[in-house]
Amino acid sequence: MSQRFDVIVVGAGPGGLTAAQRLASRGFKVLVVERGRKPGSKNVYGGRIYAHVLDKLYPEYVKEAPVERWVRKERLTMLTKDSGVTVEFEAKATEHKSFTAYLSNFTEWLGRKAEAAGALVVTETPVDSLITKDGKVVGIKSGSDEVYGGVVIVAEGINRLVLESSGLAPKLQPSLVGLGVKEVIKLSRGEINERFNLDEDEGLAWALAGYPTHYVPGGAFLYTNKDAVTLGIVVYLEHGSKLDVPVYDLIEEFRLHPFISRLLKGGQLLEYSAHLTPIAGLKAMPPRLYGNGYLVVGDAAGFLLHLGVLIRGVDFAMESGRLAAEAVVKAHDEGKYDEEALSVYQQLLNESFIMREFNAFKNAHKALNNPRLYSDYVMLANAFMGRYFDVDGTPRRLWDTFMRAKGNLTLVDLTKDALSLVMNL
Amino acid sequence: MSMDNRRIPIEERLNSNAWDVSQRPHIRIIDPDKCRKCEAKPCTHLCPARCYTLSSDGTVLFSHEGCLECGTCRIVCPYNAIEWTYPRSGYGVQYRFG
Repeated sequence: MSQRFDVIVVGAGPGGLTAAQRLASRGFKVLVVERGRKPGSKNVYGGRIYAHVLDKLYPEYVKEAPVERWVRKERLTMLTKDSGVTVEFEAKATEHKSFTAYLSNFTEWLGRKAEAAGALVVTETPVDSLITKDGKVVGIKSGSDEVYGGVVIVAEGINRLVLESSGLAPKLQPSLVGLGVKEVIKLSRGEINERFNLDEDEGLAWALAGYPTHYVPGGAFLYTNKDAVTLGIVVYLEHGSKLDVPVYDLIEEFRLHPFISRLLKGGQLLEYSAHLTPIAGLKAMPPRLYGNGYLVVGDAAGFLLHLGVLIRGVDFAMESGRLAAEAVVKAHDEGKYDEEALSVYQQLLNESFIMREFNAFKNAHKALNNPRLYSDYVMLANAFMGRYFDVDGTPRRLWDTFMRAKGNLTLVDLTKDALSLVMNL
Repeated sequence: MSMDNRRIPIEERLNSNAWDVSQRPHIRIIDPDKCRKCEAKPCTHLCPARCYTLSSDGTVLFSHEGCLECGTCRIVCPYNAIEWTYPRSGYGVQYRFG
């Protein structure tokens, strides 16, 4: 490949492909370089995409995109080994706000969109580093191949091997990421509808905390697809050493929890996957999101909003891809891709929902990184309910029941932690 | 065999995936001596594919074949003793339901 491109995109994920599609459709000569066999073959996520960005970017997605089910039910459970406290929100009809999907399929679809717009997607090619000349990024290197371009959009995902090897990001720290491990289990469509009380095309999004990670900070998820269920755990890696069983056993213990295993009866494992996910909001960002000749989007930029129950990655990745494309167009109109011209990207980010959300939740991770949330409070909720409903002839006054259920937690801890959550989430 | 009431061994779970494994490892232990001296050996606990195992003489053994390409080993290694990159030419795990 000795051609020169206007734009080179590193990584064919939701962020990179959105940028590529936008730019190619405006006449830019775009190359996307992807390490997998096809777009999506290296992508893993939890299981749900928030649709608001798609409404704007690809309004035709409702008919075209590989949607599994529209989420109609949201469920949150604090789980112990033998009991659980659940909050559920259920709407009569789905509002079409979010849907479950396989990210592999969805990304493949975005790849076709980018190609249809004229972008060249080259697969099976891991990028090793950026080529820098006179302090400006001018291309990419893969093995002995070099390709040059006017500007490089780095969309390489959470493992920032390219940015790191080019000296543009420090080594990823365990405190910034969670490890997600996932199993996809085949069931019939009828079994899913019946067991989860859903109609055709309606989905459940379920977040759980406590027992699934053995009370270590992190959580678990379960999503219904058309004819499979995806379930998994996320462990904040900073706390990984506190696990009393290896992580590959942990997910099996979660699947075999009686509340879960009865829902999966007769199922068949289709796939076992794992991926890192940014959890630390603003802190997970590399020091610079743009520079001379390059921009960073998606997970590589730390653009994943992790609020414990609410987790949004794909919409953030796609929006950042869209904004990167807009920044490139503006810089191109100015006739240069230097740091100053590309700084418009930061400006666009600041005006977008991306930075609005990150700024609103800038201390969310600090609040969520509190180990008591995943242990003491899960126990408290279960002990409280257990005692309250255990009618034995003595009065179950709320306050007494609560005081007995709280165990070693002090009222000062409780007040502090409650305030921290209310103030930061 | 039904999976309803039994743990699926990690090997069997990995076998449910589509693979195209390269002969060439994309993982390298830079200094096995560091691993021998490492007390916590977090890679053996936190690798979701159980790619890192402990031999009876205290050496950490690894296999790249079942690697799920998450990158956990690289960042939890307290001695930066693991060189981990992506497999070349599209090799490795082929996710169909990611």
